[in-house]
Amino acid sequence: GFAGQQGAPAYFAPPDTGYANGQYPQQPVQQPNMNQVTNQFAQMGLGGQKPYALQTVNLLAGQPDPRDLHRPTPEIRLPPNASISQSPYVNADPSYKRSTINAVPTTSSMLNKSKVPFALILTPYRSLKEGDEPVPVVTDTVIARCRRCRTYINPYVQFIDGGNRWKCCMCSMSNEVPQLFDWDQARNAPGDRWSRPELNHSVVEFVAPTEYMVRPPQPPVYCFLIDVSHAAVQSGMVATATRTILESLDRIPNEDNRTKIAIIGFDVSLYFFTLAPGSTESSMLVVSDLDDVFLPKPTDLLVNLTESRSAIEGLLGRLSDMFQDSHTVGSAMGPALQAGFKLIQSMGGKLVALSSSLPTLGAGTLKNREDIKLLGTPKESTLLQPASSFYKTFAIECSRAQVSVDMFLFSSSYTDIASLSCLPHYTSGQTYFYPAFNASRTEDALKFAHEFSTVLASPICFEAVMRVRASKGLRMSEFHGNFFVRSTDLLAMPSVPIDQSYAIEVQIEETLTAPFVVLQTAVLHTTAFGERRIRVCNLALPTTTNMSEVYSSVDEIALATLFANKAVERTISHKLEDARDAITNKLIEIMTNYKNTMTAAGSGASAQLAISENMKMLPILCLGLLKNVGLRQSAQIPVDLRAYAQTLLTTMPSQLLIPYIHPTFYSLHSMPPEAGTVGEHGIILPPPLPLSSERLERHGLYLIEDGQTIFLWIGRDAVPQLVMDVFNLPSYTELRGGKMTLPLLDNPFSQRVNAIIAKTREMRRGPYWPHLYVVKEDADPALRLWALSSLIMDRAEQLPSYQQYLGQIKDKVNGTTY
Amino acid sequence: MMNFEDVEERDGVRLSWNVWPSSRIEATRTVVPIAALYTPLKQREDLPPVLYEPVTCKPPCRAVLNPYCQIDVRGKLWICPFCLARNAFPPHYKDISNTNLPAELLPKYTTIEYGLSRPAPTPPIFLLVVDTCLDEEDLKALRDALIVSLSLIPPYALVGLISYGTMAQVHELGYPECPKSYVFRGSKEYTPKQIQEMLGLNAQNRAAPRPGQPMPPQAYGPARFLLPVQQVEFQLTSILESLQRDPWPVANDKRPLRCTGVAVSVAVGLLEVAFPNTGARIMVFTGGAATEGPGMVVGPELREPIRSHHDIEKDSIKHFKRAVKFYESLAKRASNNGHAVDLFTGCLDQVGLLEMKSLPNYTNGIIVGSDSFATAIFKQSFLRMFDKDDQGAIPMGFNATFDVQTTKELKVSGLIGHAISANKKSGCVGETEIGIGQTSAWKICSLSPRTSEAVYFEVVTPAGQPLQPGSRGLIQFVTHYQHASGQMRLRVTTIARNFADPGSMNIAQSFDQEAAAVLMARIAVFKAEIDDSPDVLRWLDRMLIRLCQKFAAYDKENPASFRLSDNFSIYPQFMFHLRRSQFLQVFNNSPDETAFYRHILNEEDVNNSLIMIQPTLMSYTFDSPQPMPVLLDSISIKPDVILLLDTFFHILIFHGETIAQWRNAGYQEQEGYENFKELLEKPVEDAQDLFADRFPIPRYVVCDQGGSQARFLLSKLNPSTTHMSAGMYGNGPGATGQAIFTDDVSLQVFMEHLKRLAVGAQTN
Ligand SMILES: [Zn+2]
Ligand SMILES: [Zn+2]
Repeated sequence: GFAGQQGAPAYFAPPDTGYANGQYPQQPVQQPNMNQVTNQFAQMGLGGQKPYALQTVNLLAGQPDPRDLHRPTPEIRLPPNASISQSPYVNADPSYKRSTINAVPTTSSMLNKSKVPFALILTPYRSLKEGDEPVPVVTDTVIARCRRCRTYINPYVQFIDGGNRWKCCMCSMSNEVPQLFDWDQARNAPGDRWSRPELNHSVVEFVAPTEYMVRPPQPPVYCFLIDVSHAAVQSGMVATATRTILESLDRIPNEDNRTKIAIIGFDVSLYFFTLAPGSTESSMLVVSDLDDVFLPKPTDLLVNLTESRSAIEGLLGRLSDMFQDSHTVGSAMGPALQAGFKLIQSMGGKLVALSSSLPTLGAGTLKNREDIKLLGTPKESTLLQPASSFYKTFAIECSRAQVSVDMFLFSSSYTDIASLSCLPHYTSGQTYFYPAFNASRTEDALKFAHEFSTVLASPICFEAVMRVRASKGLRMSEFHGNFFVRSTDLLAMPSVPIDQSYAIEVQIEETLTAPFVVLQTAVLHTTAFGERRIRVCNLALPTTTNMSEVYSSVDEIALATLFANKAVERTISHKLEDARDAITNKLIEIMTNYKNTMTAAGSGASAQLAISENMKMLPILCLGLLKNVGLRQSAQIPVDLRAYAQTLLTTMPSQLLIPYIHPTFYSLHSMPPEAGTVGEHGIILPPPLPLSSERLERHGLYLIEDGQTIFLWIGRDAVPQLVMDVFNLPSYTELRGGKMTLPLLDNPFSQRVNAIIAKTREMRRGPYWPHLYVVKEDADPALRLWALSSLIMDRAEQLPSYQQYLGQIKDKVNGTTY
Repeated sequence: MMNFEDVEERDGVRLSWNVWPSSRIEATRTVVPIAALYTPLKQREDLPPVLYEPVTCKPPCRAVLNPYCQIDVRGKLWICPFCLARNAFPPHYKDISNTNLPAELLPKYTTIEYGLSRPAPTPPIFLLVVDTCLDEEDLKALRDALIVSLSLIPPYALVGLISYGTMAQVHELGYPECPKSYVFRGSKEYTPKQIQEMLGLNAQNRAAPRPGQPMPPQAYGPARFLLPVQQVEFQLTSILESLQRDPWPVANDKRPLRCTGVAVSVAVGLLEVAFPNTGARIMVFTGGAATEGPGMVVGPELREPIRSHHDIEKDSIKHFKRAVKFYESLAKRASNNGHAVDLFTGCLDQVGLLEMKSLPNYTNGIIVGSDSFATAIFKQSFLRMFDKDDQGAIPMGFNATFDVQTTKELKVSGLIGHAISANKKSGCVGETEIGIGQTSAWKICSLSPRTSEAVYFEVVTPAGQPLQPGSRGLIQFVTHYQHASGQMRLRVTTIARNFADPGSMNIAQSFDQEAAAVLMARIAVFKAEIDDSPDVLRWLDRMLIRLCQKFAAYDKENPASFRLSDNFSIYPQFMFHLRRSQFLQVFNNSPDETAFYRHILNEEDVNNSLIMIQPTLMSYTFDSPQPMPVLLDSISIKPDVILLLDTFFHILIFHGETIAQWRNAGYQEQEGYENFKELLEKPVEDAQDLFADRFPIPRYVVCDQGGSQARFLLSKLNPSTTHMSAGMYGNGPGATGQAIFTDDVSLQVFMEHLKRLAVGAQTN
């Protein structure tokens, strides 16, 4: 019997079908982690400039190996002594900042010719996972900046004039070295400038002196706007949200007890609550004048979290009950936002809106404009454009007042995410979507509570502006992400949420003469504990006149991230089809030029489809993008789901984005014995499989996940023992598919599967807690199709298989020459 | 000759004439119109309501069966004296006989009250509208008084609370979770529909209840705001206890923002949608002028003073007309729905009563003015509203309709009092319009036992169509109202008066000069509200002269021969005092005071009104054990007397110089001076008696001769010894009387002029 066996998987197919061992090698795969990557980089950055070896591969010859997505990025080979420090940290870790090309052509014509876009992918406020080094902080408020271009001193400047002056790496200006650079203020003794973090680290944070403040640093401010309509209360959203806030009160950033909180309910009216310090009671003030929103009281509505803790707790404990009998239908979310804005505008902070329906009253009223006849047609993109100018103009007003908006949306019907997400978009907030939320399903409650509490507890900074400075000849030309572009290249970010990603395109304006260029990101912000700080992140890249170096330095992950951002923008400004075509065309352009210039085939036809080794995953990533809900050709995708996917595509850091467009696929029934057990770096994951349904065996159990959703696929011939071990059910027929919480059973396989799911949920950055769906091979076609849509190498509807896609590209690559 | 006061005691009515001219032309010659001052809820302890439905004449007449009806006991018929229709008695009157008559046919029941079987749809409603822009002490006093009132309001009555300052807040009393209120912006004029929507009183935006679940009415209906006292006393008390001062900051050079207009409009809007056409009072408590939003009386800048009569005359007030219009429109809406609006003010300065007066005037609401809510005037007046009668009910009527029916010789000219027209164009409506005319019925939103309405009539019988000798005319007053107990009641008073035979002296003898003075005063004030005061004074003079010409005995052009019979003799004096009164001479008072005084005049019965017109002055001396009424004249001021002045609004005790000196020396505490002590105490006791049933509580002033407070007395006295006329009686200043610094003519001068004009002599 099975019982008592240890380790090895034992869920073989019935003997007659035979157990076909996959083609895929089954050796354990070491998961890359940050330390490792950092170390690799550190090693690469040192030891002089070696020529890039261009290694061409023929895509048609093999299958993409998902493990290649975890390869290190192409080496940045700076000239010797490019940096003044020998520190291994002088160049940016890609998780903070990466470039689509790690060797920069010296001219724009060369860049154009390469067809590879030059862009930076930034996650300046990146989370620190266990083992990550914190960003070093320069605490003495001695900040050396270039007099001319305002660049912050960094490891790529040069000391001249006997160390009394430094030469700017961007504009070559000679600047005085501050005297305090050689003085240790803490010990009040001569100091060693070489120990200063800003000369040894790419990513540093300066504590800013008062010159960097137009006003005292604001406290963290959270104003919760909670839909209390019938639908919101009955779905359990209000109860879950208030319980989550209540349970998160100790985790909300409040280190120095300055954090302020306000709670406003809304349905067809606005409900303000007074939360007087020291009181356990609150009183409710109802404002129904939606045309002309006002604050009903000058005090006690926005209160200090610490001082008014009991009143806040009292209210959160009762809020859902207060509206239990409400039969109100309608949403004055726009006026609620205006009210919240009025309440916090003098300070700035977060508006956290939780809404269960389309806003139907007052400013920002939206209509149900989802016309299923338009889906899949060229007109679909109109539904992805904001329907009301309110959400942009109000967002800009918010941005000016340092107010950022997060949206948590729960509607069971159309809620117009395309319009609503404008607010987070322009205010550096984030949109979260829980379609048809129903807290009576524990999975729904759990997911929302987990994500909401993670967001509440997340480190956050406020009243930020971000600017990227670069060496002479480079100019930041286009900006993608959640912020408002103020004065050409200054990105206003009322708050900076953790792990949000931004993409910035770079233009070569003048011929680059220096052997390397520096791109410096500076984020001036206020920390949650009341300090004004500047986070500086430097990236130095070598310049090159050699096209092959450009190709061999391409960071395909960064490139795919840029494509995602640009494609989403294009769906809104043009059409979905245009956006998809643009991706494929860009890919074709790159590959055509690559073939023409880098391969023996030259401009002639080729039976191969050549690309440099470091870009070999680019086609599958592009295909993944084309098949993502945000972009996929389909007449079946509800607009809200599409719009939400687009917000994810434009905000997630690469680490989240790549699995989102290229899901991870594991075979569980046949996974190696160590998979799901604890290894050196935590839970060992099974080797990922190529995303093809060819891999699905009828007796198998598979896990497919994209960071947002986890599918547990079970074949119809799964042996009863497997069903019993995983689901505690006697047979496959007893199993019901759908959203569920997998039981944790007293058998090793159950524990390993649970461990893998748990690892999947927690291993990436971001608050997302994916739902788990059990998908039976022969049940619920909708769910089945959804799960299978993750297997992007398959053909689906009109969408090509990976091989077909490569074929199309090959035809075009060859075709252009005819 | 009937005793006017006995009639008043029985029927609550005083008539200017008790025998009526028989033709239109005759009536014109009698100058003072036939008019009645009627007190519908006149307390009659001997008149418990009969508990059956009245028998009425067929429509459209609907006159109520009364002792003046001719009945045919055999035919079981009665003849309506108003329309002469024959009506069958209802079946249950089948046992009627000359010895078995229902009460309404007995002569003593010319006034009868029916307790109707149909109950009022809703118990009485009290909606408190409370200013929070008060200082702590005032707010506390007001809160305390309101909390006490909760124990006095009938437990079944509905109560609600609106507080206001910079904004107006409607408190949802039925909300169990926490204190909850709906907030309205103070600066904005809300339409009734908006108010209704904002309070969630409409059925929109509501999900259908789940199958099998009834919609909980508490969740949305007006019941959230207005609940029985017994149910919410605890919650309302706790809300009142925690009612804080308006929290919005006020700059030093500003008045607090006080949105009285919005608060009242929300109150009116709430009641009109929730409880239309049912008894309710909106009790507005305000500690200052509205400075915000619609109905603003004065801007918030302190350097902008509140308007005076002169400003209004110059038409230089920016808010005045708009505010008046705003409150008038609210008053119309409230009165159309039967809702009364009371104004309680607690402020040393004006609060804008002039602008807001239409609210109590249209609805017969109450005005109680006081310097602060911490004063006894406020507290006692307010709580006195809830004093219970012998039946344990508060003597308050609500949402009344007041109908007047006349026999064909008479028509109704109009009504002057706190009411609005019910637009009943019955056959009783006359052509002449006095007051609120063109109707024979009015709405009176609230009734107190003091409420007295002046109704004016005209005789329409043309000359040359003589009535049969011994003809009499009938007037029936029918007041349908909601009693505080929740019962609907009908008070019916039917009076009959003879028409005078041509040339008879009966008319003159039937003149009730007191009633006539009050009825003419109401006309004068009504005119003054519209016209300029000088015109009104000239009109009053003209009417007086004409009356004297008609009814005095004199030889032409011989003033010395001028004689008035007893029942006319003091009428000129009333007119003299009326001319000088605060009702017509407004410039000595603030516009708010004028509005207040005029309001009260239009509320009270003959006796009280006369006190207002011609205050009473009692003198207390060692010589007489009982107080003596003395002339309202400066000659009554003497060093060794104590005077007790009752102007209705003020009760003043005045110590003559000597008395004051003795008192200051403490003689009253010494043995052997018991009579002095008694002398000091007697007027105080008498003053307390006056307070006992006066509403609102008068201001009480105790002063000494020569003290600053004495000006209250001096301003009321006939200036027989002005600084101009010193020596007129051969006495120099400092003799018996005290000189009054005024240019007003004295009564003596006035009378001289009157006589000359009446007799057609030259005046100089
Ligand atoms: Zn520079
Ligand atoms: Zn009749």
